[in-house]
Amino acid sequence: MGHTIAEKILGQHADGKPAKAGEIVVAGVDFAMIHDARAGNALKMIEKLGAKSLPHVKRTALVLDHYSPPPNMEAANTHVAMRAFADKHGSPLYDVGDGICHQVLPEGGHLTCGDLVVGTDTHSTTYGAFNAFGTGVEGTDVSAVMMTGKLWFRVPETIRIELKGPLQPGVWAKDVTLTMLGKLGAEGANYRALEYCGSGVSAMAIDDRMTLSNHAAELGAKAALLEADEKTFAWLKAHGSAAPKPVKADADAIYAQRIVIDTATLAPQVARQHNIDDVVAVPDVAGQKIHVALIGTCTNGRLDDISQAAAILKGKKLAKGVRMIITPASRAIYLAAMREGLFEILTAAGASVEAAGCGTCVNITGHYIAADDQVVISSANRNFKGRLGNPKSEIWIGSAATVAASALTGVVTDARTVAGGDWRAAA
Amino acid sequence: MNIIKGSARIIGDEVSTDIHCSSKYLPGKDATYIATVAFEQVAPGFAKAFNKGDVIVAGKHFGINSSREQAVHVMHRMGVSAIIATSFGRQFYRNAINNGLPVIECDISGIVAGDALEIDLVAGRIAVTAKNITRAVPPLPATVRTLLEAGGLIPFLQKHPDWNVGGEAA
Repeated sequence: MGHTIAEKILGQHADGKPAKAGEIVVAGVDFAMIHDARAGNALKMIEKLGAKSLPHVKRTALVLDHYSPPPNMEAANTHVAMRAFADKHGSPLYDVGDGICHQVLPEGGHLTCGDLVVGTDTHSTTYGAFNAFGTGVEGTDVSAVMMTGKLWFRVPETIRIELKGPLQPGVWAKDVTLTMLGKLGAEGANYRALEYCGSGVSAMAIDDRMTLSNHAAELGAKAALLEADEKTFAWLKAHGSAAPKPVKADADAIYAQRIVIDTATLAPQVARQHNIDDVVAVPDVAGQKIHVALIGTCTNGRLDDISQAAAILKGKKLAKGVRMIITPASRAIYLAAMREGLFEILTAAGASVEAAGCGTCVNITGHYIAADDQVVISSANRNFKGRLGNPKSEIWIGSAATVAASALTGVVTDARTVAGGDWRAAA
Repeated sequence: MNIIKGSARIIGDEVSTDIHCSSKYLPGKDATYIATVAFEQVAPGFAKAFNKGDVIVAGKHFGINSSREQAVHVMHRMGVSAIIATSFGRQFYRNAINNGLPVIECDISGIVAGDALEIDLVAGRIAVTAKNITRAVPPLPATVRTLLEAGGLIPFLQKHPDWNVGGEAA
């Protein structure tokens, strides 16, 4: 009987043998992360635990990304406490402006193929793009990891999703996940792991693969795992990660469900206001007016997203009445985009560029509060009512290509119909 | 804590505990305050009429989205003895176990407010005797029961820093 990637990674970190879906294991954790929106609770839980020592604390990163920069004194004080904790214990710290946890962990070389990684954030599934089992936990869990290096896990059943064929230019991993959300519904993969495979995955650049694993959180997935290939190894090596221990699924592994998506013919998708699983193809809603365009977040604030937006907006101006904000996912992306002249293109077009961080994803920094009846199109991951501070505004979710094309025209637009919408990252 | 008895308190589907049972959108308010107003928007008067030992009976995806464990701390203050739901958000389910609050996935049809519920965590059974409702549910895994019996992950690790969960669940 074969095993899934999730069963293998969890088993290897427990007693060394593949685990079985449904089983509870106590497994060694390779790396952990706490971000500032949960640090207040996490630091309290560490205190409550009252451990004499925290032998695994150096493998726990503290990331100041959600309240970046801090919008109130409580957040500013939490930041001070996090810096003091990192100083005292020698934990890696990523400060305001360094970037979003799910971007800085891989960029910082903190994980590799076959690892088990936890973080105090649902989008910790991102690490699956590197063939690591990444999952979201809370402060209690991370305090347990710091003290014991271990944590309990229920081994998830897996849904295997085959992506058939490379995506067309102008169509992105975001469109694949939105398709899945339309199919399974939000939380449609609750408790489960996903395995994405097929030629559609192989053809994707790492940035796009990270979107695929990251955005699985909206499906309720516990993890979203990809097999590693030469692109994965090259990326990890370039970022100073430890030697990869790639894990593949067995051909006779048991899956809860198998899904095939014809990615070669997929059109760009958008989620309409308030529900991330209210998904329609962009051509079906083309012409819907938008007022605000946002590119950023751990889902789509990477260099390929910004490059795609710049390709569409090069030498152009935003449509009259449209505001646009770009928030790079990390300082490294920010620097790369500056070096490549992307910010000059986007700023000249009328967009604003912000420091790296969680920025406009949710109204906790007050970075962008939409007005009544305004329609926001965003490359973020969630669109429930009021997420940008005003329940009377609408948030539509699409790829960076769809957001940029819509910012150019002022209406929801298929990037395949505008110049530059066929931009592709170098393989 | 193998047998829990309590009165049913009903709440609907897709209830986010971040929104309705935490200070995420009420910055500066503490758990004591949240415990007096929790779930007000989805079930008016819920917290006010909640008695110590009552059982929350919820629909699907209770605790969906990025669930803060503060919600479980609030529920302890309210006196929640257990939650049964059609399904739970993954993170909430984990938080409940880590904080010593029993959570059971179960068909909730026919259960109404005020029903006297009896939950057997070991045998895996939910019953409302007066209505002849008896439902088998998968018994909680031994490791989970061990954590619940200890009062959660932190008290468990204070006693067993070696993670010795004992018995079948090593």
